[in-house]
Amino acid sequence: MNKTVRKRFPRFLPRSDFPEPNAMKFPSSLPPLRAALAASGLAAAALVTSIVANPKPPVPALNNGAEYVGEAVCVACHQAQNTQFTHTAHANVFRLNPKNEQEKISCEACHGPGSNHLKDPISPSNRGSLVGFTREWGTPVALQTAMCQSCHQGAGQTFWDGSVHAANNLSCSDCHNPMAKLSSGGLLKKPTINETCYTCHQQQRAEFAKRSHMPLAEGKMSCVDCHNPHGSTSKGLLKADSINETCYNCHAEKRGPYLWEHAPVRDNCLSCHNPHGSNHDKLLNVARPFLCQQCHGNAQGHQSTLFNAGGAIGGGGAPSTRIFGRSCQNCHSQVHGSNHPGGARLQR
Amino acid sequence: MITISRTLLRLAAIGAAGSALTAAASPFADSAAGVGTSLGNSMSASATAARPRDAEWMKLKHTPTGQLFQLPFAMPKADEIAKLASGWQYMGQIEFGFIGGDADERSAQYRTYSDPDNGALLNNFTFTMKRPEGGHYVELQGGAAGRNDQYYGLEFGRYNDWKVKIFHSETPHVFTNRYRSLWNGVGTGNLTLLTGLTPGGTASTAADNAAVAAALAADAGSELSLMRERTGIRLDLSLTPTWKAYVGYALEKRVGARPIGVVWGNAGGTAPMDIPEPVDYETEDIMAGLLHADGLNVFNLRLSASIFRNNISTVTFQEPYRIAPPAGVTTVPAAGAYTQGRMDLAPSNQAYNARAEYTRKFPDFYKSSLTAVVSAGKWRQDDSLIPYTTIPNISLANVTLLPGGAWDTTGALSRPTADQTIDTRLADLTFAINPTSALNLKAKARFHETKNASDPFLAVNPNAVYNDADAATAGNQTRGLTLDGVTGVWGRILNDGSGQNLLLGANATPAGNLPIKSNIYSSKQHRVGSTADYRLNPTTNVNFALERETIERTRRERAKTWEDKAKVGFVTRALADSTVRVSYEFAARRGSTYTASTYDPGAFSSAIFPIPTTPGANVNSWAVRTNNAFRAYDLSDRDQHTANFRYDTMLRPDLDAGISFQIKNARHPDAAYGRTQNDQRSLNLDLNYQPSAQRSVYGFYSYQQGRYRQATIPNANAAVTIGLVTPLGTVTPENAIAIGAAPGGPIFPLINTWDADSADRNHVVGAGFRQDFGKVSFHVDYSYSIGRTRIDYAYTVGGAVNAANAVFAGERMPDLATDIGYLDASLRIPLTKVFSARLVYRHQKETIRDWHYTNLYATPIVPGANANAVPTALPLDGGPQDFKVGWYGVMFQIKL
Repeated sequence: MNKTVRKRFPRFLPRSDFPEPNAMKFPSSLPPLRAALAASGLAAAALVTSIVANPKPPVPALNNGAEYVGEAVCVACHQAQNTQFTHTAHANVFRLNPKNEQEKISCEACHGPGSNHLKDPISPSNRGSLVGFTREWGTPVALQTAMCQSCHQGAGQTFWDGSVHAANNLSCSDCHNPMAKLSSGGLLKKPTINETCYTCHQQQRAEFAKRSHMPLAEGKMSCVDCHNPHGSTSKGLLKADSINETCYNCHAEKRGPYLWEHAPVRDNCLSCHNPHGSNHDKLLNVARPFLCQQCHGNAQGHQSTLFNAGGAIGGGGAPSTRIFGRSCQNCHSQVHGSNHPGGARLQR
Repeated sequence: MITISRTLLRLAAIGAAGSALTAAASPFADSAAGVGTSLGNSMSASATAARPRDAEWMKLKHTPTGQLFQLPFAMPKADEIAKLASGWQYMGQIEFGFIGGDADERSAQYRTYSDPDNGALLNNFTFTMKRPEGGHYVELQGGAAGRNDQYYGLEFGRYNDWKVKIFHSETPHVFTNRYRSLWNGVGTGNLTLLTGLTPGGTASTAADNAAVAAALAADAGSELSLMRERTGIRLDLSLTPTWKAYVGYALEKRVGARPIGVVWGNAGGTAPMDIPEPVDYETEDIMAGLLHADGLNVFNLRLSASIFRNNISTVTFQEPYRIAPPAGVTTVPAAGAYTQGRMDLAPSNQAYNARAEYTRKFPDFYKSSLTAVVSAGKWRQDDSLIPYTTIPNISLANVTLLPGGAWDTTGALSRPTADQTIDTRLADLTFAINPTSALNLKAKARFHETKNASDPFLAVNPNAVYNDADAATAGNQTRGLTLDGVTGVWGRILNDGSGQNLLLGANATPAGNLPIKSNIYSSKQHRVGSTADYRLNPTTNVNFALERETIERTRRERAKTWEDKAKVGFVTRALADSTVRVSYEFAARRGSTYTASTYDPGAFSSAIFPIPTTPGANVNSWAVRTNNAFRAYDLSDRDQHTANFRYDTMLRPDLDAGISFQIKNARHPDAAYGRTQNDQRSLNLDLNYQPSAQRSVYGFYSYQQGRYRQATIPNANAAVTIGLVTPLGTVTPENAIAIGAAPGGPIFPLINTWDADSADRNHVVGAGFRQDFGKVSFHVDYSYSIGRTRIDYAYTVGGAVNAANAVFAGERMPDLATDIGYLDASLRIPLTKVFSARLVYRHQKETIRDWHYTNLYATPIVPGANANAVPTALPLDGGPQDFKVGWYGVMFQIKL
């Protein structure tokens, strides 16, 4: 039975498990746009034939040719793990509605066949007999990832390969604990998405503690609202095709297009804002009016005037509307764009 | 205020739409698309931290990087889970109680994003049911019922087959609690002045000032805020073992008001005041997708639409002062006629997108793969345009209105609706190959376009003519000027008619810098690159990346920029019990010829009137815009170094530590003026100690530093006339722009130069511990954040700042300072097997010193030159307010 089961497994293994090629071949250089478009067309054409054919990848051997022993054997020893595992999505899928032979075998679907492990379950020297997902166990990260991707392929994981997380050699279990339900979803290693991300992204954790910040600490938003930690075609692992499209998901009123546009606003919200947090009002990168004056040096009018401490209320000099309150936006309040016919100065 | 009854109605509706209500702390995150992934509020973390841990869990383990896995929560064993006769298993809990103390604090900083009022509280609940036979399940979760930060989630379905997720979450956004309104109708599009104030003012500005002061004195300040409510549903379905589909819908409402500035008079420069902008938004997000994965092929198709509606598209406000008619107004309107103004608010818009992703693996060809993505979208808005003003009978010198051309009608517009469209396109291709078992190579190409497909808006009144010719043509004439096939009076009246900016307006003299046409901004991004990832040994990788990104932009100072990046990274687990990650990237951005003086000459009146050639003619409005050594920082040359270092180590089996720092240095070598430098630094330390299931301790510290440097030259207000002799040569029509825009020329004397250095520094420290005393558990979370921003500036006295003002200007702004403290402690006491009590104490404080708002609350009227003058401004938003609160809670937990 176990041999039959193994034949049905769709698995990918890391590079080291594939035979060395006879010769190295490199793709020719790709002219940028035309090549992308042409290849996209070819890829679409290939889709139809390949999906219809529904080919299967090669079936590798795991755990040095071990045999599957079944979940009951595992649970007999690992009762504490089973208590936690029982409450996970993994267990519910494997035990209550498995769709294929791989899912039916539960524990060994992820850890691989366990017969060699049973021969010497304690000795560290026998850890190669199972795939483990901890530092202590020592399974290569590539193999860990391949095990997860044997089921978790496509969809949100489509762009894992080549992502910044993959380049940093992260394992799935650097973020996930597939054995316990700590989080409300996603089997994360921490109770929330944000706490999980903060274990490496302390810089962002500090930014969310600043005066103006997105509502992550208040539990109303998560990193995954904007980012796909599993990979993306956009920089910064953004979920949308561009920075602005990401922001418009929640700030649809900024999308316009407006009758009178503000060029850097249309180009990139990050021209002015730090989306994680800031010492300044409205997530701005720099205090106004200095921020505006980093682009606006127009001589006619007031744009390049040095508005200084004397212009603050009680600063000693004449109070300046370009200093106090919203500074430049006291008048140019439609800084994201104006739909008023007279709004070229973004005042209406 | 959201009421419990409203909530119950919603829940009932959810039940009707779906099925029986039940339970679930559920995964709402789709990491690929959409928002709404977090269900919780500011109370959630405390409740979670209080949950008991699993004392029977295997000994501590670490992630592959070397960070301790958190101990899982205590969960019932399989045979301990409650069961119904029907076979359904269930478990759940509910927590409720009371909050007392200072939780009613009204500071905006305290209240934004959360609603921790005193009183009874249903803090949270979860309920899960599943039926092993058939694999069906229901999960429900929620919290803060009836409060402004309430949330609910429902998920049901069949494991591994189909599921339905429904959620509702509310978030309060409090902008200020110190807003003093002069108007009735806050939150609506019609703001009428309070009793005692006169629309358009009276003949006595002093009396108007007194009336405004009296009205403000009667108002201690109130809250301007909005509520964001997002409700959604999504169905995920497995069609076959390899095909899945999903469809989702979400409705987000934002309702409330926020402060926004409006300005009046003298071409837009008089008496700005804060009015309450009404917010009544609805956004519908619709998404459907098809997913395929068979081991060799991956195919994802996603269709999405986002429909945004602004139910209040304008706000009309009465103004309490008499504004002088703009120069050029002849006989009407009469003094006092400028009684009100109108802002056009965010237009309703729609966005549509289709995206297809395909990956094909070739395991027999060096384990290669090809990934292609195409995406196309359209953003569209076609709001009806409003007239320039609501004030009737505005008549301007040198202009005759034809029938239907009155400025308060849409007949004065070049078109009736906005008719704006942007098309987006994306094509992305990646080819990956493994020539050897240790080497992975990738080649990438990407094209992304944001193309504004709209016709420019023409600022012209087609139903008006000049009743005189330009200054160069003698005699009275009646004619319009023609551009782009449209004839009329070019330019626009400003700010409801309280200002005007017309070509050949009051004095029939042309100018070169009047905006007469909107700029249409489009951009194309091309990116090509390659990466190599080489495994030196099973524990160590090194990777390299090269990339060129080219961006072409229309109507910007620079038509094209290109940025080359090279990156190297190193990851190793070879060190005992440690992981090191290091990367360095250098990026150099350059571009085509930079034209600082203008975005697009065709968008200004210089397109109609070329620069004068007559000796002695003042050509300032053609020649003088931005100094030609000034660079906008998103377009300027840039050299940027970025380094990242991260070290994780297991100091002991129960203690891990991490240290990381990031450095980013950016210089703009071609920018003598504008932003010249930006540096970012970050240092982070983390400790995590878990000696037992009964005890855990953590601590962290972060230091961040940011620095921006900039320089510019103010205008010397000197004339540039044809024939003027300057140190840079004699001004001619051909060189006027070059001389006018040159640093060191008549307009930009170097003595006027000033520069500024803005430096942010932040410290964040956090610590916490958890300790169980038998069945009683205690935990504390603490954090303190310090933010400081120092802005220094340098100038020459007598240049950018005169001697009299230099006394007050000094050398720097007062520091911007923010201190934020947070402490949450709770003691959980099990009273029976299913009933527990939890005592909570929370301390929060925030102090803000911000020179933008210094003394503003006490000075809502910034006086003008004298008591009889219109005020300089009415900053009616008093700004942020410090707070310091301590509140306690008594919660009761019932476990099902």
